[in-house]
Amino acid sequence: MKEILRLDHVSKSFVGVKAMQGISFDLCAGEIHCLCGENGAGKSTLIKVLSGAHQPDEGSIYFEGQKVTLTPHQALALGIQTIYQEHIVFDSLSVMENIFMGLEVGRRGLLDRREMRRQTVEVLQYLKADISPETIMGRLSSGQQKTVEIAKGLVFKRKAIILDEPTASYSAAEIDNLLDIIKTVRASGIGIIYISHHLDEVFRIADRVTVLRDGRKVSHYQIQGLTKTQLIKDMVGRDPSTFYQRETVPIGEAVLEARHLTGNGVRDVSFVLRRGEVLGFAGMTGSGRSELMELLFGSARLDAGELFIGGRRVRHASPRQSIRNRMCFITEDRQTTGLFLEQTIAQNVMVANMVNTRDFFANPADDLRTGDGFIQKLSIKARDARIWAMTLSGGNQQKVVLAKWFNTAGDIYIFDEPTRGIDVASKQEIYQLMVGLLKEGKAIIMVSSDMPEVISMSDRVAVMKDGEMVGLIDRGAITEESILTLSIGDKAV
Amino acid sequence: MSERTSADTRDGNDLSLFKRHENLTVTAIFVSFVIIIAVVQLLITGGKYPTFLSPVNLLNILQQVSVPGIVAVGMTMVMISGGIDLSVGMLASLVSIVTALGVSKWHFGVVGSILAGVLTAVVLETVMGFIISRVKVEPFIITLGGMITFEGIALLLCNSREVIMSGELNFIKANLIAGSKDPVTGLNLVIPPYVLAFFFIAFLAGMLLKYTKYGRRIYAVGNNPNAAFLAGIDVKAMRLSVYVIMGLLVGLAAVMLLSRINVGIITLGQGLEIDTIAMVVIGGTALRGGKGNIVGTLIGVFFLGSIGNAMNMLRLPSEVQFVAKGIVIVIAVSAGHVSSAVSEFMSRRRKVMVPVPAAAVKQE
Repeated sequence: MKEILRLDHVSKSFVGVKAMQGISFDLCAGEIHCLCGENGAGKSTLIKVLSGAHQPDEGSIYFEGQKVTLTPHQALALGIQTIYQEHIVFDSLSVMENIFMGLEVGRRGLLDRREMRRQTVEVLQYLKADISPETIMGRLSSGQQKTVEIAKGLVFKRKAIILDEPTASYSAAEIDNLLDIIKTVRASGIGIIYISHHLDEVFRIADRVTVLRDGRKVSHYQIQGLTKTQLIKDMVGRDPSTFYQRETVPIGEAVLEARHLTGNGVRDVSFVLRRGEVLGFAGMTGSGRSELMELLFGSARLDAGELFIGGRRVRHASPRQSIRNRMCFITEDRQTTGLFLEQTIAQNVMVANMVNTRDFFANPADDLRTGDGFIQKLSIKARDARIWAMTLSGGNQQKVVLAKWFNTAGDIYIFDEPTRGIDVASKQEIYQLMVGLLKEGKAIIMVSSDMPEVISMSDRVAVMKDGEMVGLIDRGAITEESILTLSIGDKAV
Repeated sequence: MSERTSADTRDGNDLSLFKRHENLTVTAIFVSFVIIIAVVQLLITGGKYPTFLSPVNLLNILQQVSVPGIVAVGMTMVMISGGIDLSVGMLASLVSIVTALGVSKWHFGVVGSILAGVLTAVVLETVMGFIISRVKVEPFIITLGGMITFEGIALLLCNSREVIMSGELNFIKANLIAGSKDPVTGLNLVIPPYVLAFFFIAFLAGMLLKYTKYGRRIYAVGNNPNAAFLAGIDVKAMRLSVYVIMGLLVGLAAVMLLSRINVGIITLGQGLEIDTIAMVVIGGTALRGGKGNIVGTLIGVFFLGSIGNAMNMLRLPSEVQFVAKGIVIVIAVSAGHVSSAVSEFMSRRRKVMVPVPAAAVKQE
């Protein structure tokens, strides 16, 4: 087979992180080459190097045997198209206009709509996609939108298409459809790099598989004869002794019980949370973990199931009700759902606790004192509580969010990705704060995609997959392998 | 990764003087404007006390800005919550026509007519606030629709004619300091009750925004509605409430305006929305919400109000006023950004220069 792309011992580091270390990789015409690895294994960096978004520090890239330097423009010109996980589409334009955006066919400054339409129809028919060129992009399902992006690759006769997690949050039928389309594209001689957390998809379409771990290439296989067990074994394998070592705390009585929670994309989840424990929630992106947290906190509607807090059934859950029930929700995205960026630390700290007091008046001087107190207690790097939250670094912003919830004196803490985008030192501090909460007899639910974090912090780990809880692992049995087997392997383990 | 490096430099929290005192930039521009006008007048008249700064003229400006000022106070709250209200002008016209009709035609009596007018405003704003808080349509659009609708209702009510009164509302513009004379010009000084009402309302709103939980919640909703919702704030109720308050203030303002001119007429509130939004924006309230304060708005009110007056004093044609107002809005609003950009640049330079090793200093 003809080689299209080859990476030769490519390395790339960011400040303090070696994202790619001497990775070699190649792609041939008419094949599907799958990239596997956990979060942070280096897959995204590899894609970004191929799409020209990152320049490698060492090593070289060859395109059809020629050594090249890739910029985003150059990569497209050569025929390498990257389709990212999030859709970058023009919602209010038609399918055809989306395909030809920036590359319109025309003569003397006028658009040749007929020609563009002809090409669009031709490709969509080839892909057996039931989409009209005139449909407005925003009306399509995300699976159909992805098809349109793939169609674009065919219209412009790309040589390589990179698909990053194309099936995240798709229904089974949509996945089947998309995989068929990808096979059709392969048949036309295009090389495809396919990245997915879903191992069954990998086994359905891959010709070859490359496994990355911690920025290194671990193994490379032809799909024939490869087993899931082997693949998972390659993906895991970090040394657990390098993880954060946390103190354990005696575990007390149950404070929260979920029975058959359903809604917001989550199906039939039941568990019990006890004082002094961290219940970790592992799973792949889109497995419904954050959605479950929204149900628990009442920011999304529960369709069925029962939630008990402190033995009492919660009806009509709302964030306001939850705060009164002494729950705290440290959300995944602190910038959009956690912080008031253009408000002072003091105002951020007092905002959630307003529910708990009946006073009409607010006392800015008191709030400042409280804010300054938390700056001390959590060692937030800020001169005083008059500083805008916006001016702080990620780790310190996260501490402000924590302060906001600590100030409500809650009992049950939901941490959704507690240390995302935070430097190593702040990470340790946040872990210590979490252990501090446990010592006070509080209970923690922690959603995390950071495997070492899940393993080192959790007393038990619940694993989610496709909106369902597929397993609950006890302390002694928590390993990368056991978690990964549940979250990406077959349901029956 | 780049986030971290840039954040590290930000962690010093070196906020510029202008950022720490949020109203400083606009105050500085306003003061320089006043000084320029006074100096120009001094030059023209050859050293006489500038009439622009005479007590009678200052009180004049106060009378002119009080009514839009009251609406601007409401607009500040609406805009801090992340909304906007384009309907206030036509709503004021509608209220004036309802009240004038109540007095002269429907025989509601003075109190009844005023109540009818104010209630009209409160009800209509509540309806808009309800829609805005429940539906995902921009407040801009909803209140634009409101503005056109209110104009129609007002014209229907008055048959497109003006409604003339015979001074029933004169008590609102009675002179509280009748008999005092201006030492500079010798003219009568006037302070009507509605000027005091303006200050009282502005004071109340300022306190409400700063010293009550309700006020803090308005900021929170405007700053980040998602985070506000998760912090247990009833975002819908907050959004609705600011429009209800706006209705009350527009109602009161329209009655005061009516008392000044004695005629209920469709042109009474024309352009009021533009003027008040300009005042609020000059005062530093952000269009995207979450930021602003009443003191800033007061400065904006006096600033915009004194521009027209100053142009009159300099005997410039009224057309020039528009040009001047427009330029001032642009300068006042962009100056904040320019000054913070400048100070950021300065502080970055300072940071590069400051870290001299302690030992090196000692040796010298």
